[in-house]
Amino acid sequence: MKEEIKVLLVDDEKLVLRSMEKSLLRAGFDVESAGNVTDALALFQEKMSGASPFDIAILDLNMPNFEGREDSNAGLKLLSKLLELQPDFAVIVLTAFDEVERAKEAVKRGARAYFVKGREADLIALVDNIINAA
Amino acid sequence: MTQSEIKPKVLYIDDAPASRRLVQRLLFNHYEFFEAPDGLTGIDKAVEVQPDLILVDLNLPQFTGYEVAARVKSLLPNVPVVALTADMAEHVREHALASGCDGYIAKPIDADTFAEQIAHFLGGQRETLTDDSFRSAYQQTLVARMEEKVRELTRALKSNAELNEQRAQLLKEVQRHARLLEAVARVSHTVTSILNLDTLVKTTVQVIGEEFGFYYVGIFLVDATGDWAVLRAGHGEAAAEMVNAGYKLKIGGLSIVGMSIAERKPLITLDASEAQLHLEHPHQPSTRSEMALPLIVGDKVIGAVLVQSREDAAFAEEDMTTLQTMADQLAVAIDNARLLKDLESTHAELVRTKTFEAIATATGEAIHWVGNKAAPIPGSVYRVREDVTRYLLMARALLAEAPAELHEHKFAQMLTLAAESLAEHDDRYNLDLLGIREELTRQPLKRLQRMLSVDSIFEDLDIVEKSARSILNIKEDLIGPARQKRLERVFLPDLLRETVRSMGIPQDVVRFLLVEDVKPVIADPDQLAHVFINLIKNAMEAMYKVEDKKLFVWVRTADDPQFIVTDITDNGEGIPPDVIDKIWVAFYTSKADRGGTGLGLPACVKIINQLGGKIRVESVIGEGTTFSVYLPVIKD
Repeated sequence: MKEEIKVLLVDDEKLVLRSMEKSLLRAGFDVESAGNVTDALALFQEKMSGASPFDIAILDLNMPNFEGREDSNAGLKLLSKLLELQPDFAVIVLTAFDEVERAKEAVKRGARAYFVKGREADLIALVDNIINAA
Repeated sequence: MTQSEIKPKVLYIDDAPASRRLVQRLLFNHYEFFEAPDGLTGIDKAVEVQPDLILVDLNLPQFTGYEVAARVKSLLPNVPVVALTADMAEHVREHALASGCDGYIAKPIDADTFAEQIAHFLGGQRETLTDDSFRSAYQQTLVARMEEKVRELTRALKSNAELNEQRAQLLKEVQRHARLLEAVARVSHTVTSILNLDTLVKTTVQVIGEEFGFYYVGIFLVDATGDWAVLRAGHGEAAAEMVNAGYKLKIGGLSIVGMSIAERKPLITLDASEAQLHLEHPHQPSTRSEMALPLIVGDKVIGAVLVQSREDAAFAEEDMTTLQTMADQLAVAIDNARLLKDLESTHAELVRTKTFEAIATATGEAIHWVGNKAAPIPGSVYRVREDVTRYLLMARALLAEAPAELHEHKFAQMLTLAAESLAEHDDRYNLDLLGIREELTRQPLKRLQRMLSVDSIFEDLDIVEKSARSILNIKEDLIGPARQKRLERVFLPDLLRETVRSMGIPQDVVRFLLVEDVKPVIADPDQLAHVFINLIKNAMEAMYKVEDKKLFVWVRTADDPQFIVTDITDNGEGIPPDVIDKIWVAFYTSKADRGGTGLGLPACVKIINQLGGKIRVESVIGEGTTFSVYLPVIKD
């Protein structure tokens, strides 16, 4: 296992993004954030070929899509692209508590787990579990 | 004989065409031939053509040959009349001569001698009657004949009078029928134009009652069970009481209504005894006759119309047919009214469902929105708590190693007290004091600097503050429309100019098209400004990716001059068709990341609706969006 786990965090809600970023940083992860799917994909591709690619991605589902339009499936579309590039890549999808069904759909499409936003301590534990299982 | 010679004219009167053809054939070479099939025609013909000789068959119907001869002799005394007959009775010749004939030729005609016989008569030959008794006998015959004719005439006159009476009766019937048909047409016209079922049945019984002058009219409709015909409307004695009492009759029962519905045909009570009618209609004691007309639509009977009269046998069979026509139209009208009622309740149900859906959507959006806004708060609070704990544990550890005199410093005492009080909160917050302290000890400085900083604490407090603030911002959108209003005359061009200026929108972005002399509107200027600020903000948001932003503000009188319309148009991204209906829904927002609460537009709509106006939107993807605000002008 590497010294530092590298996490790609994607959410268009700035405060939510920053808060999760802080929690992950505090837990010792190396975190890079993106506020939209286009930036996220670019970041992933850039690191993929470099020395330290991402170990795991945490994606929100409901945000502007690649065309810049609000889309409750934007996260799913990003998930597909990431898995196309790296089929065994670990992805956790984030969801609001009232959109769990869509998150379950994401798991069917290859996400490792879904996480209902709000309890960030549990998110750390979830990331640990997934990384350790790998 | 040459052609220039004038042929003598011979008229032959006989009802047998074959005889006339034979005589014509025998005479036409030498005579001009005329004919007549009966006595009266013969007399007319004789006067008309003035023949040189008349041949008459004695056995003519109606006006006999004898009578023809007598009449012709008085009209044309010099023209010879010759009887032609197959009558073999005794004294036929004498009778003929007595009646005025100049000669007699027996039938069958002898073709060889006939022309010669005619020539003789034309030449002046006359036969004479020697016995005068034949003349008086003939006169008696004539008198008897006249008496017979007078009797016939009298009989004919009498039957004529009867016919006249019948004709008058028929005319009366026809006129009555025509009046009935007219009334039917009027009733039909009235009933088919009413769409409300209650109004329809009430109006119908009234119109039928008044048009036809019936004593009582009732409409019965089959109930849901199909067993009973319930009185829905009545016109006449005790009508309202019976409807209110839920008066009903068993279908297929003994009542005329029940039977009419069961048998699907109109029925008349003509011969019911007074006692029986009274028993059936205790509420209409004056009923003497009645008729029930089934209301049939397609293959189902939906009820019946009952009409009653004070007169005996007031209804004829043919009335039944006419009134049934009216009943058929009424049935269709009732059925239509029912369908409309069903449609209306379905529509109302749909509206309710849609309203609930909208509320559910709004509620869902609200929960989602608030949830999203609140999401980072627990994480930040947790971190701040942990950071404070860390600093205090660090302070205590440091103080433990500090010189004794430093312990007495009030700051040291404060820090010691604070650190010790951590233990009291341990249970409540589940602080792993030992674990935290170990971690602090273990980690190198560089790592500690990354883990813990005042910056980080303040940032987390900022996160909490901003999250809370955006949730609190909803308040204004929710309360705005309900705020106390200060209504006054507002000139929209002034208001728009001022609003745009106050928003600090760059001058090169805004294009005003303000018709300065539009009429004022009545509104609270602050509320109205709030609406336009919202719409202009939306427009600016929609253009956030557009480099050459263009905001058009256009104020003018609407096509309907009762309204002033203000267009706010942007050249932004446009609203997708699948989204455009949702924009009016509370808490729906496409720009949550940019601070939208999703309450702006619904609040605008609320405010404008309160002023008697409306908001419309039109949008083309990639070209832009126009919000049009319609406000009523001040009424003079």
